[in-house]
Amino acid sequence: MKLPLATLLRIAVRTLFIQAGFSPEAMQTLGLLYALEPAWPHLYAQPEQRTEVMRRHLTPFNTHPYAAAAIVGGILHYELRLANGEGTADEVTHFKQTLMGPLAALGDGFFWLSLRPATGAVGVALVPILGVWAPLVFLVTYNLVHLATRTWLFITGYRHGSAVVAKLSELKVPMWSNRLRGLAAAAAGAMGVWLSLRFGALGGTGPWLGVGCLALGVGAVVAMERKVPPLFLLYGAAVLATVAGAIW
Amino acid sequence: MWTQVLFTSVWGGLMALERRAFLQAMVSRPLVAATVTGLIGNDIQAGLFVGLVFELLHLGGASLGGAHADHDTLPAVAAAAMAASMGEASGSDATPAIWALSILVCAPFGRAGRLLENRLDLRARKYFGRALTAAGHGNMRAVARQNLRALWPQFVFYGLICGAAAAVGPEVGALESLLPLPLMRGLAWAYPAMGVAAAAVAVEGSHAPRRLRIALVAGACTAGVMYATQVLR
Repeated sequence: MKLPLATLLRIAVRTLFIQAGFSPEAMQTLGLLYALEPAWPHLYAQPEQRTEVMRRHLTPFNTHPYAAAAIVGGILHYELRLANGEGTADEVTHFKQTLMGPLAALGDGFFWLSLRPATGAVGVALVPILGVWAPLVFLVTYNLVHLATRTWLFITGYRHGSAVVAKLSELKVPMWSNRLRGLAAAAAGAMGVWLSLRFGALGGTGPWLGVGCLALGVGAVVAMERKVPPLFLLYGAAVLATVAGAIW
Repeated sequence: MWTQVLFTSVWGGLMALERRAFLQAMVSRPLVAATVTGLIGNDIQAGLFVGLVFELLHLGGASLGGAHADHDTLPAVAAAAMAASMGEASGSDATPAIWALSILVCAPFGRAGRLLENRLDLRARKYFGRALTAAGHGNMRAVARQNLRALWPQFVFYGLICGAAAAVGPEVGALESLLPLPLMRGLAWAYPAMGVAAAAVAVEGSHAPRRLRIALVAGACTAGVMYATQVLR
């Protein structure tokens, strides 16, 4: 028994809604049930069987929304085995419970804390060169990785089940994460200097506004290292600059 | 103007969904969402430069597990809409002083957006309760559908806030025009100052090992390139 391609596509598209019904207790459980729903009529002929499998998946589920594609694919892999009389229901539950935590950590570390800051900062740093096209470059770059990864995770999970972990370890994610974080820091630093010097030429102040902004930037970096809240820094910088501009 | 308010509301609502509930392809990141908001408000530059500051400010923010970071999309879209409508009311494109004012007014929306997100999460409990009831009756379709029911409150609430920001823009612009000239100059200076502060927040938010050294080297290189291109000109 195999799932038709159209059904697999429907399920893959539905994984994009995995967080729609997020709540503190159930987390992504509703999203998971929504994603898996098209599979059940193909796997289980009897309505009682479908009700039973749906109840089996009505337990709290939470992972990184992109990595959920691997888990949904893997659940289908094990449910297919179960429907073919090759596996057990515990195998499905074990796969889901074991992988959701590690995949969440991996997805948060790579996508939320590395790729997104890096592509976002580079997108911002491209504004002086590309102007209004810079956001488009950011979107395309990010989504080349994002959509390719989601597709790969879904297919690998569906084909190999828990072996998706071994395949993931070949990708050297932590190494790429560190490099991307460095890129984000570089782009942010470059943008701070560009903003200082580009807008520092405003209003015939000579180099003083630019120099003042650079000094402010250094002070802000030090303050951030000492855990000063970002909004406090933003308003502090605004007040200092407004007062300086008003009395110039 | 009311057409722009309507479009901004719809866009703001869609962005709130994209950020959290559907796809998460980063269309809702401040840099992109604010630029498009500027386009809707006929001032794409205002959207770009307002979005740029919010992108840097929220660069390292992430909702991990069930804990939410400050909302990055809401203040960016609201500020871009406000800046564009303030500029339009003044009869020209928004200036750095207007960008700065709209950022100052809308920056706290990040915290407010997070509180609203927490409330909507609590509200979504009832959909799970309905799913459990439907499961008890063996109604699979009803169980799956509950997932989509949670979408509409997010769309409505965030859309209304963004639309309201666009609607009050001209009023804020009228107040801004009453400000004395030195204060206006100060506000224009506040834009790069806030941008630099946001860049410092972004350096910290990069989570990179040796981030200060990397940022310093990149900043020095940028200054060198800018100086060299100015001299060559």
